[in-house]
Amino acid sequence: MSAVTFTPRADVRSTPPASGPRRIAPRAHIADRIFQSVAVSAGAVTVSIMLAVGLFLSLRAKDALVVAGPSFLFEQAWSPETGVFGIAAVLFGTVSIALVAMSVSVPLALGTSLLISEVLRGRLQRTLISIVDLMAAVPSVVFGLWGVFFLQAGIIPVSQWISTYFGWIPIFAVTGADGARLTEASAVTSSAFIAGLVVALMVVPTQTSVMREAFSQAPVGEREGALALGSTRFGMIRAVVLPFGRGGIIGGTMLGLGRALGETIAVYMIISPIFTINWEVLKTGSNSVSALIALRYGESSDFGLSALMAAGLVLFLVTLVINFTASSIVARSRSGASS
Amino acid sequence: MKLPRAATRRRVILTTTIALLSTLVLSTTAPVSSALADQTYEPIQGRGSTWSSGAIDQWRGAVANQMSVNYTADGSSDGRANFITKIVDFAVSEIPFQTNPTDGSTPEQPGTDFAYMPIVAGGTSFMYNLKIGGKRVTNLRLSGETIAKIFTGKITKWNDPQIAGDNPGLAMPDKTITPVVRSDGSGSSAQFSLWMVNQYPQIWNDFCNSGVGCAAGSMTSQYPVFPGAKGQAKSDGVAGYVAQDYGEGAITYVEYSYPLKAKFPVAKVLNSSGYYIEPTASSVAVGMLGAAIKDDLTQDLGGVYNNSDPRAYPLSSYSYLIVPTSAPRGVFTEGHGRTLAAFAKYSLCEGQQQVGLLGYSPLPMNLVQAGFSQIRRIPGGGQLDLDINSCNNPTFKPGDSLESNQLAITAPQPAACDKKGPDQCTTGTAGAPDETPISGSGNGGGSSDAGVNAGKAGAGTAATTAAGGSSSLATDAVYDENGQLVSAAAGGGTAVSAPFTLASESFGISQGLMLAAVALLLLGVFLPPFLSRKLRRSSSSPR
Amino acid sequence: MTTLLPGAPDRTETTEVIAPAATRIAPTRTGITVIPLRDGVAPAERRALSTVTTSSVFDVVGALAGGAALATLLFGWFAPLTGVVGWLLVAFVSFLLIYTVLASFTSTREEILDRVVTVLLGSAGTILIAALVFVVAFTIIRGSEALPHINFFLQTMETTGPLDPIDSGGIAHAVVGTLIQISIALAITIPLGVTTAVFLNEVGGPFARFVRTVSDAMTALPSIVAGLFVYAAVISLITHQRSGFAASLAITVMMLPIVIRASDVVLRLVPGNLREAAYALGTSRWRTVWHVVLPTSRSGLVTAVILGTARGIGETSPVLLTSGVTAVMNINPFQGPMISLPLQVFTFIKSPEPGMIARGFGTAAVLILLVLLLFVIARTIGGRGPGQLTERQLMHARAESMADVARMSARRATLSPLGHDRGLAVPPEPAPETEDIK
Repeated sequence: MSAVTFTPRADVRSTPPASGPRRIAPRAHIADRIFQSVAVSAGAVTVSIMLAVGLFLSLRAKDALVVAGPSFLFEQAWSPETGVFGIAAVLFGTVSIALVAMSVSVPLALGTSLLISEVLRGRLQRTLISIVDLMAAVPSVVFGLWGVFFLQAGIIPVSQWISTYFGWIPIFAVTGADGARLTEASAVTSSAFIAGLVVALMVVPTQTSVMREAFSQAPVGEREGALALGSTRFGMIRAVVLPFGRGGIIGGTMLGLGRALGETIAVYMIISPIFTINWEVLKTGSNSVSALIALRYGESSDFGLSALMAAGLVLFLVTLVINFTASSIVARSRSGASS
Repeated sequence: MKLPRAATRRRVILTTTIALLSTLVLSTTAPVSSALADQTYEPIQGRGSTWSSGAIDQWRGAVANQMSVNYTADGSSDGRANFITKIVDFAVSEIPFQTNPTDGSTPEQPGTDFAYMPIVAGGTSFMYNLKIGGKRVTNLRLSGETIAKIFTGKITKWNDPQIAGDNPGLAMPDKTITPVVRSDGSGSSAQFSLWMVNQYPQIWNDFCNSGVGCAAGSMTSQYPVFPGAKGQAKSDGVAGYVAQDYGEGAITYVEYSYPLKAKFPVAKVLNSSGYYIEPTASSVAVGMLGAAIKDDLTQDLGGVYNNSDPRAYPLSSYSYLIVPTSAPRGVFTEGHGRTLAAFAKYSLCEGQQQVGLLGYSPLPMNLVQAGFSQIRRIPGGGQLDLDINSCNNPTFKPGDSLESNQLAITAPQPAACDKKGPDQCTTGTAGAPDETPISGSGNGGGSSDAGVNAGKAGAGTAATTAAGGSSSLATDAVYDENGQLVSAAAGGGTAVSAPFTLASESFGISQGLMLAAVALLLLGVFLPPFLSRKLRRSSSSPR
Repeated sequence: MTTLLPGAPDRTETTEVIAPAATRIAPTRTGITVIPLRDGVAPAERRALSTVTTSSVFDVVGALAGGAALATLLFGWFAPLTGVVGWLLVAFVSFLLIYTVLASFTSTREEILDRVVTVLLGSAGTILIAALVFVVAFTIIRGSEALPHINFFLQTMETTGPLDPIDSGGIAHAVVGTLIQISIALAITIPLGVTTAVFLNEVGGPFARFVRTVSDAMTALPSIVAGLFVYAAVISLITHQRSGFAASLAITVMMLPIVIRASDVVLRLVPGNLREAAYALGTSRWRTVWHVVLPTSRSGLVTAVILGTARGIGETSPVLLTSGVTAVMNINPFQGPMISLPLQVFTFIKSPEPGMIARGFGTAAVLILLVLLLFVIARTIGGRGPGQLTERQLMHARAESMADVARMSARRATLSPLGHDRGLAVPPEPAPETEDIK
């Protein structure tokens, strides 16, 4: 009976479905309207700034891209003044430096993040977390300084050692133009390997942070389950923590990769820029898009600047793809769903 | 309604912050306006050459009390490009605008409202880092052809017969040469390649035709980083690389002031009268007597390269200030013009007093005179008092004739041991005044300008390390690539070290023995624990 | 995706704070079954798994000593090996081998694996921390040549020539330049970034999703490209000169996405029931944001901004293209070049002269210390989660609520005689101090 009287009232008032939240129909308060428009316009300003950057880059890059055509991606030389230019060598250098960086930083970051989240406890754990987070904020020019004034000289024996004993692997060989093996100190300085090491140290704190975050969220219940079934700590890590944190591992790696690709100053200070593809990472000579921009922006004519913009645009697109891939992987993973 | 306390406090804090901020803004802007009122010179900005930046930095510091001149040394190409886009007041470049480039690049279009003004002369020197037996070589000599071949990849070893022929007094090591070139657009590269195009066209054209990235028969600001070479940015970069420990074996082309600062030696270059000459202030001044100056004051250096004076350094050249002649032009205004004119006048007159110490060569009178006429063309530079007789320039005295150059007149003749032949001076060069002992077959001798050098460098610290005792004695000493003594013929009882890198790729007996020894050692370490356990187990089990 | 910002405020809490269930679970009423929120909530303290026994310590120490000895033997006598790094490598491998052998005496295969992996993790951590600390220590030690000179902080390089000793000239102009540039960048970034983040969280809608996508995309923008954009768009086309303002713009373009993203994450952490409570009290949207959301996430926002600042201060590449290099003090950001600390480091160390290089290291040390200071401030402020208060804030809040209680009871006292029993059910005025009590 009461239900019957209730229903029409609900109809009259057009109550929203009971399952969803109640709909608030706010009074059109003047302060609220101002707030709303301010917020929207802030968003619009932000978007317009960022779209302006993207559009401007694309528009300015168009001149160069039209002239170069598809050969922009395949040409190795960089001489916009004579119309012969492409980013094949530069992009190759960028990627090789980033890959060297990843092959050093990912194992280190993985190990350290597991150490922090799984092995250490208490004060030591907190200290390490702070140190790693602090290191992520250290300016890149500091790493560059260290690379030039310490690592460059200190790493020579290592490079020589690797090239002597592992020279049979093509990328570790250091050969001259005639194919003969080079053993000189000067043959292994200013290489992609050294730049990669410096960049690795630069990105490893960020990667460690992201990975540790993911590992620390592994559910305690599952950990307990694994331990209760008699697994060791490593068994538990293998069975619970690593699968759970896979998104974090991939996300952290990609994040570091994105930063490694865009790193300028440290690479600029270390490499000897060349415009040919150099497969031998230990051998002197490499290049990177951002270092090229830093080197050539000032002396470029309008057209040269346009070519640099095109190179910058390609770099931007590459990092963009990497970032979005990373975020979609992380978002779909278990560890990434909560944040 | 009474305001809650917290809100009141916040409001107070807000007001104080605003007040503080506004006072800060006021206090920061106030000095600017008062400074502008006191000071008649507006700050100016320039960019360009690293070749001449040592001199410009010196002048900039010297006039800092009266005017503020900002100079960024990012290369001549950078200076010219920035001048074209009008975002600087002046530029400094070794070469003029490339309005008709011959290497196929797009022409630079600076317009017409500018003028060239020479500011300083200097020598493009060849700074190197080489050790023989652990001791730094400071007296290397090179002929022009050798230099051209080194920087085109034709000569790759320091013990190449051609280098050895230039240096009878040195036992050159079997070490790879690392030519270090500029990776940015540079006037030094342009001057150096111009010299090669002019003097050794065959070598340069062969080089360019091999597809390294330059045009045959044409100079280039972008020196190709050819296989075996190393590219570094700016003069600082190339000099810095050569000066590192790992830069041993490297050689680069850079203005004479950089090796002076870095305390490193430079190669003496063979001139057309058969003398190996160091690019000191006086030898550059003598060399520049051969330059032909065109109407717009730019230089034609053909006569310098082949100057027959025995004291002349062949790779001498002028560096140019590029000044606007109309205002307003981008950032340039007449107010800026007044500062620029005063700065230019200082650099032509008093400024030239110090350039010799820095590793440059002061301008002669005719160019100062011509420079004055360019200063008058700078907007705002007309009212400046430009009197050649009150100009305190070291190359001339009041009343001298236009062509005379005191520095060139008083320049010393080269020492006999600097003449091409079996003798080689042992005296150090540039920033490294230490003598290099004779290690080759030639005889030694003292260079006349040694004292000048030592004083000029002002160097107390010698960059050399202790010599390996026997190296100066052993006439037939053999050195490996690291400059280590491998075998000394006459060095009785000298310890001979085995070189670090394995001499041969082949797997010899010694390697096999070493490997066996290592395997034995590892067995010795890891076998006993296993054996003991096994033994214990087997001995305990029967019971 | 987790936040891009290293050490964003939500990071550490999740590991350290094992929240008592009460703080996370919505207030329960008796008789209703509540399913506890599982996301990120630990049912109990995590188990400590480390079992340090004397023998395991001896194993590690012994293996270390054995590894070092073996490597020395190999290097000194047996094999043609040289170099510190080679020694370290061989020593490490021998250490691992010996440790495995030692472990195999007492353990099963699973345990051996576990112990070896633990050692590997420990060495990864040691290498990483040692390398990072070494980078910083190297800079500070090399910089200590310049740091004791007081003129280094007070003078500029205006009259200092290439050959002058280190007790002449300094980096005052670069410090001032950095402060001015970062202040301008912050003056743009903070209002715009935080408002945008508020827009993303509080207003929402398809446009907000678009804004979020775009700003996420912009975090991928390489900093040099941000500099190139400002150089080509602002310097070449508009101002026609390099200036501190142009550098600030480049830093802004770089920092804005970072700050938006970090603030977005922080604002998302504000508990929804706080907002609901505010709305339930009839508060307008604007007042909810201003009095509830922002104060609640204040510490997190400050941390986000400070960490963004640390990134912005340390970036060299955008200022390299935009600010210009100068040796003189310039406090006018719109006129003339204005150098900043990272660019000054870069300029100094390009020089081959030892004095300039020492100054470069000194400047880098100052930069590190500045970033360190910012980081410590960020940690002090942002170490707490949203809504957590310091002692002082807590005392303040207590005092405020005491005052409220006094005021209300006084009012009640005056009202009660008139017979209004429901006096407290409808407060006479809506409490304006929501955020203070909170």
